Amino acid sequence: MKLRILLADDHEIVRRGLCSLLQKREGWEVCGEASDGREAVEMARQLKPDVVIVDIGMPYLNGLDTTRQLLQLDPNFKVIVLTITDSDQVIREALDAGARGFVLKSDAARDLVAAVEALQSKRMFFTPRVNDLVLAGFLEKGHAISRTEPPDLPTLTAREREVTQLLAEGKSSKEVAVLLNLSTKTVETHRSNIMRKLSLHSIRDLVVYAIKNNIIQIQMPPQLRTVSETTVV
Amino acid sequence: MAKGLHGLPQRANLMAVRILLVDDHPIVRQGLRTLLEGRPGWEVVGEASDGVEALDKVEVLQPDVVVLDVTMPRMNGLEACRRIQQQKRKTSLEVLFVTQHDSPQMMREALDAGARGYVVKSNAARDLLEAVEAVSQHRVFTALARGPQASC
Repeated sequence: MKLRILLADDHEIVRRGLCSLLQKREGWEVCGEASDGREAVEMARQLKPDVVIVDIGMPYLNGLDTTRQLLQLDPNFKVIVLTITDSDQVIREALDAGARGFVLKSDAARDLVAAVEALQSKRMFFTPRVNDLVLAGFLEKGHAISRTEPPDLPTLTAREREVTQLLAEGKSSKEVAVLLNLSTKTVETHRSNIMRKLSLHSIRDLVVYAIKNNIIQIQMPPQLRTVSETTVV
Repeated sequence: MAKGLHGLPQRANLMAVRILLVDDHPIVRQGLRTLLEGRPGWEVVGEASDGVEALDKVEVLQPDVVVLDVTMPRMNGLEACRRIQQQKRKTSLEVLFVTQHDSPQMMREALDAGARGYVVKSNAARDLLEAVEAVSQHRVFTALARGPQASC
């Protein structure tokens, strides 16, 4: 029987690259492609894939919350997280969310097949660079990864995190209500609860919180109108 | 017949185009390659993972179009584009940016650096083929997330 893989990444060009990589393997098929976390959860519900590959930085529902929802839906889902960052906090959150594979996007062409194979054999997989970090954290701290700066996330419910992400992406309470199939009043209640729990006073504060806690990700542009960081002969 | 921008009929593109892909993520290069190689006559002649490598490959491979990312290690795409313009031997060589930066300011910077095209990565699957076709014919093609604009 074929190994069925669901891909979730907001960039079609990345999904094409991943598809081309994975479908070269005999016996593997990409059974679905989702362009955001909410779509991924819905597709997983319908398609029941063996492995789900989830990008962290996706609109509507980020990859960490997608992983949480997937495993709530079915604890047997095997989730591999794809990310552009190897920060301690992101690794810890991905593991806490239940991901069993962690691959840097920059290493995906090299490591993703090995990651899928590992999960297929009920093993975990970390990109080698991350593996070193996890091991170093284990040796230094006596547990897998440093917990010196616990994220603020556990104080929010899953629904509040979803609302936080959508508000931080610039959506109004009305738009959030439509997306989550809630009343505007309910969304506004969530919004007040979030602001109160986190002691935030404005949407600007909420955006900063969302960035700091990997609920949304931003990419910094290179400094404009400067020479490059390196000298080339 | 398919309609292009401004409702004009699209010309069938049988022109051979040699393309160099520059992006620090191999999986993105793979996705771009898959898309581009589906087009008859177009050939991906090489790949580079940063601006420094791109300059070397441009010199050796002499492509017609360089598809260039902005944010890369060692040398970013803007600087690479400026240097390609300075050192290019083939006057017909054109640069097309494919980047995550959905920003008019970044687009202006790219065009000022000498690029002929600018496409946002999230829409690359929609815009890339049209953009490569345009820049290979020395037409400007720019598309932020809301949609493409081409000009002669």
